[in-house]
Amino acid sequence: MNDSVLVLSIASALVAGTPILLAALGEIVTERAGVMNLGVEGMMLVGAVSAFWAGVHTGNLAVALLVGGLAGSLLSLVHAVLAITLRVNQTVSGLSLVIVGSGLSAFIGNVGDSPLLEAPNGVDVDPLLPAALADVPVLGPIVFGHDIVVYLAFAAVAVTGRVLYRTTFGLSLRAVGEDPAAADAAGLPVTRIRYLATAIGGFGAGVGGGYLVLAVLGTWQTGMTAGAGWIAVALVILAGWRPWLALIGAYVFGALRGLGFTLQIAQVDIPSDFLTMIPFVAAYLVVVLVSASPTRARRVAAPAALGEPYRREER
Amino acid sequence: MLSLVVALGLGAAILAVTGADPLEAYRTMFDASLNGTAAIERTLTYATPLILTGLAAAVSFRMRTYNIGAEGQLFMGAIAASGVALALPADLPTPLILLAVIGAGAVAGAVWAGFAAIPKALLGTDEIITTLMLNFVALAFMNYLIFGSMSFWRDPDRPVPQGKQIPDHAVLPAISGRLHIGFAIAVVLAVVLWLLLRNTTFGFRLRTIGDSHRAATYAGIGVPAATIAVMSISGALAGVAGAIEVSGVTDRLDPKALAIELGYTGIVIAAVARLHPLGVVPVAALLAAITTAGGSMQSIGVQVEVVVLLQGLIFLAVTAGEFFVTNRLELRRPAAAPQASPPTPATAAGGGGS
Repeated sequence: MNDSVLVLSIASALVAGTPILLAALGEIVTERAGVMNLGVEGMMLVGAVSAFWAGVHTGNLAVALLVGGLAGSLLSLVHAVLAITLRVNQTVSGLSLVIVGSGLSAFIGNVGDSPLLEAPNGVDVDPLLPAALADVPVLGPIVFGHDIVVYLAFAAVAVTGRVLYRTTFGLSLRAVGEDPAAADAAGLPVTRIRYLATAIGGFGAGVGGGYLVLAVLGTWQTGMTAGAGWIAVALVILAGWRPWLALIGAYVFGALRGLGFTLQIAQVDIPSDFLTMIPFVAAYLVVVLVSASPTRARRVAAPAALGEPYRREER
Repeated sequence: MLSLVVALGLGAAILAVTGADPLEAYRTMFDASLNGTAAIERTLTYATPLILTGLAAAVSFRMRTYNIGAEGQLFMGAIAASGVALALPADLPTPLILLAVIGAGAVAGAVWAGFAAIPKALLGTDEIITTLMLNFVALAFMNYLIFGSMSFWRDPDRPVPQGKQIPDHAVLPAISGRLHIGFAIAVVLAVVLWLLLRNTTFGFRLRTIGDSHRAATYAGIGVPAATIAVMSISGALAGVAGAIEVSGVTDRLDPKALAIELGYTGIVIAAVARLHPLGVVPVAALLAAITTAGGSMQSIGVQVEVVVLLQGLIFLAVTAGEFFVTNRLELRRPAAAPQASPPTPATAAGGGGS
């Protein structure tokens, strides 16, 4: 029963959705503070290659993911300087970040005498819970059979949701994203909060990239995110900047990305390139349908000052 | 210019870390991209699609419609153009064939952009997301035609998946050596776009919408119609880039040679050129010079990746440098005469530096 196609594909959807979820969570925090960072794809790549490097050298999953997250944060600070302090166009700055990130990660991955490109994975990603639990029918593989990161990502959603809506810091962060002038007048350090939010976003993307390379793919390949970062950016909008909806969305995209595997088992013959398309077509259709819905929920939820640089002089 | 120096300095540091001699590396890059006729031909050939994708981004960004989809529109243009090139009979006059090839590219690019433009115009759908998602769809579709199936585009005589070579009568004639007539087409389109934006009612409408959406609506400008028009123009330009690459450089539908982020690079080129159509040409040429140098770096033991990195650094440095230019203007503005104009992107001819 635990070998059935459905159970296996749900279980793999949770794993495949986790990197997207982590990146999307980070981007939600960033955008809630009014900073739009389109560089998620680049930050994920740099986070992935850094995490893979750390994994090869330490063999420790926690250290590897931490290094990946910090690398993502570091790259996101470039965007922070450009978008927050220098107030350049955030779309352009974010795209530059993608180009820099893919160049930098390709470079790091292919430098030195024993490049990471050919290196074996240094980290074992084991299930968290004892194997006995994973053998429970149906629930075992789906609920109990995962590694610790899947559960931590789940917890991160709860923490993010709680912090955003139930703490002073979350309120400040959202205030900065909705009306920076008012937030500033109320004494909030707008610039500092935006920097912090951008760094958190970079951390999420970096950890997501790290998990993707260490647990989902297992080897470093140049450009291995293959659009996962962009899916995360789309997911933030689809989820209306809400963490719990992002969780559902990420698992759905995880399922769509894993659909090829599922259909192969079910022996349905669809060219693999069309399977690659599915998540992107789905994201396209959902964005269009959401904008067509009469309630326009996403409009209400979008931070009012998203993508707007804040100038104090203009108060 | 200063930002360029900063970027090259950072690049030199990275090169030194990896054990290469930075000066030697830069000299090799210069020789490969700018020194001599053949080098300049190579650079301008590479600049051609970048000029077009740069224009595609410039025109849409000027109206604050963010078409990030030049990448996918370029693929669709390349698919349509190579299809037409393979299908047309050889006995047609050459100019007609070339016109059909490029026209097919333009139409395909515009139609692909339409998938984002129409929801944007009618429903207000975020075009950044839709155009991006469509890029990946177009890429997978192009891969399918060559790698995933025995399509009309694929060469049936080769065991290794490869596009069918397009016939000689559909290949763009050369201007000089490797440089083909597509470069001239791109430059002419830059001038046409510049005049269109500057001297026509359409251009005025577009700029008004870009400056103030609300004012434009209030003045009775049909924003949805303008959105569709601008996205179509933008998509068509990217589609032409794909057509010209196929018929001038790759000679076949070659996904590996086309999917090199020409569309994304165009966006940054447009930004560095401050969305000025004429500024796009020199910026694209500069970027092309750096990229064509990439291959030469390998001969002295430097990875190609360094060049991508250098490119990114230059983007970042120039983007940051832009701030100092625009900000100085803004700081002066309060003291200037009351009719002081907003910082329009009018002085971008020297877009290569700042």
